[in-house]
Amino acid sequence: MINTNNLTKQYGDHIALDRLNLNIEQGEIYCLLGANGAGKTTTINLLLGFIQPTSGSAFINQLNVQENQKKSKRFLAYIPENLMLYPTLSAVENLRYFSGIGGKEFSIDELEGFLTEAGLQKEAHHKRIASFSKGMRQKVGIAIALAKDAKVLLLDEPTSGLDPKASNEFGQLLQTLKNKGVAILMATHDLFRAKEVATTIGIMKEGKLKQEFTAKDITLQQLEEVYLNTMDYKQLVP
Amino acid sequence: MLKHNFIHELKTLTRNRWMLFLGIIILVFFSFATFNGHQKVEKRALDINAAKQEVKDADQEMLMLIDSVERGMEVSAPYWTIPTSPMAVGNYHPRVAAMDPEPWAFIATGQSDLFTHYVKPTVAGDDHTLNYTEMTSPIQLLFGSFDISFVIIYLLPLIIVAFSYNILSSERENGSLRLLASNSISLQKWVIQKLAFRFLFVALVSILVLGGIFLIKGFDLFSNFGEFLSLVLVMLGYVLFWFVLAFIINISSGSSAKNAIVLLGLWVGLVLLVPSILNQLGNSIYPMPSRTLMINDMRQIKVDVSQKQDEILDNYLRDHPEYAINDTTENRSFYHRYMASQMLVKKELEPAVSEFEDQLKRQQQWLNQFKWLSPAILVQESMNHIAGTSTSDYESYRKQVSEFADIWRNHFMPLLYNNQKFSEADYKDLPSFQYKSKKTSVKANLLLLFVISLILGLTFGISHVIKGKKASMAMN
Repeated sequence: MINTNNLTKQYGDHIALDRLNLNIEQGEIYCLLGANGAGKTTTINLLLGFIQPTSGSAFINQLNVQENQKKSKRFLAYIPENLMLYPTLSAVENLRYFSGIGGKEFSIDELEGFLTEAGLQKEAHHKRIASFSKGMRQKVGIAIALAKDAKVLLLDEPTSGLDPKASNEFGQLLQTLKNKGVAILMATHDLFRAKEVATTIGIMKEGKLKQEFTAKDITLQQLEEVYLNTMDYKQLVP
Repeated sequence: MLKHNFIHELKTLTRNRWMLFLGIIILVFFSFATFNGHQKVEKRALDINAAKQEVKDADQEMLMLIDSVERGMEVSAPYWTIPTSPMAVGNYHPRVAAMDPEPWAFIATGQSDLFTHYVKPTVAGDDHTLNYTEMTSPIQLLFGSFDISFVIIYLLPLIIVAFSYNILSSERENGSLRLLASNSISLQKWVIQKLAFRFLFVALVSILVLGGIFLIKGFDLFSNFGEFLSLVLVMLGYVLFWFVLAFIINISSGSSAKNAIVLLGLWVGLVLLVPSILNQLGNSIYPMPSRTLMINDMRQIKVDVSQKQDEILDNYLRDHPEYAINDTTENRSFYHRYMASQMLVKKELEPAVSEFEDQLKRQQQWLNQFKWLSPAILVQESMNHIAGTSTSDYESYRKQVSEFADIWRNHFMPLLYNNQKFSEADYKDLPSFQYKSKKTSVKANLLLLFVISLILGLTFGISHVIKGKKASMAMN
């Protein structure tokens, strides 16, 4: 579902992403870990077609993103770190708008159904987004992905700033989407959440994918150790 | 996407009270401008009516005086003002040559605060020295009149700038652009649709407000529907131009602050600087001959001819044998000589006058060549044409007055040279002035306005595609 083939992005002399090869299948959650500037967001931007690769290519549902920008976006949903919706509109209205511009029409009942499925309480459905917490907005983001019937979900630091409860709920939602066959790529700093939800974990450093392993084959402690080793943070560990 | 964008815009703009705010602003501006414009036109109409009433009253007195004289009664008035003399009537009882305001005069002050709207040409007066200029406050001239054309030309663009400078940039700054751009939409189309909604809103509110105010004011909109349509189309063309500019600036993707500064800069340039610079250049390249010098020339010519008035009169009578044949008294007074010399003065002055007029024509032609540089000029000119307050309207009025002055003078010439008295029976034959308004079509300006917007939009669109600079890239 999500593939990259020697995907490279260079800004002048600086290599932001260096020959990245990813292959994320349906029903798989791939967590990209790495420090700031490791190339996680660049990878997502390239998959979204927001920036052009210096070399290599990115594919969504076997469509080359750079050659089929609009088509490839039909299959994906994206939740940024700070999901900003329209504050004067309600959750239902935001959902209707974002699914509408993507060409999908739903009744109020259907829209409320998506919001409920995304875990948003019923009484919040018709409240203005301005009063929503970050966790609630992320749930609307998930509802947008559900309404879009996205095959691919790209997440950029979705749990940063969420309290543990909200983060846990978010993790559960990702599992629901995974079970529906959605291929998920999540860039995060959150080792704990990555270990909880991921099927595969990749660690990036300076634009390169340094480590890649199956989440179930590793404990959280091992993950932390590998991560710190990869980042050369070993000396900080007591 | 169009339906969703329109509904979305309607909801967001209603909830953040933008629509209400804009509606009120437009209503207040247009209401005040209409009130202000009407006040000026009413004052102009009152001045003209007062002048006409004055003439009517004077005419009554004149007829009474003629009656007294014809009855052989003695009258207590200087002999040169007694109206049995044709020259006394021609000089002391002139008609009002008024430029009555057009039905749409209230929409654009135009040149009306610079020129007077009635004059009274006399038989002995000089047409070229008739004073058409009006005393106007320089402060008023500096800031312009708060009329409908002022609202459309100066204020509507500012409203459009405030309403549309940050369509794309606000999404970027709020963080919602990335979510939007992750959908299979064209951001250019998205911006166009948002601007289209705002364009329709501004256009609709402006049309409804204008139509409503005119109807409330008791203006006969239906009899003047052609002009109303022209006014609306000119306004729409101008509003469209500013929305096209807003689109270009939005897509060129600066920050909201940068967009606002660029759009305000364009407003200053296109609305204030370009018209002013063109006007200054026109005056420098085709400077108008001094009117004072022309009047000095005229005085000199008069001095010259006054020294040979007998010779001039002889020549004049030779050219007009009908007066010599009909005249049995051979009485040749001051006016016989003066009027004959006046004809000569007018003839002698023709080159200077035509030089003045030709230079004015050249200056206007030169300005016309460049008016496309600023849509504000096109709109101002169009609105002045609709209102009947354009330079060409006042030029036409001046020419009509000049023609009427000739008619007035020539009416008295046979009476003067045949030494006939002016009688009560002659009163009804006195010529009167009726201003014929000059209808100038605004179609060319209208077409030019839409073509400018089209060319601007297309040029930007094509260059954007050639550069391959996709709007989505501007998010980063």
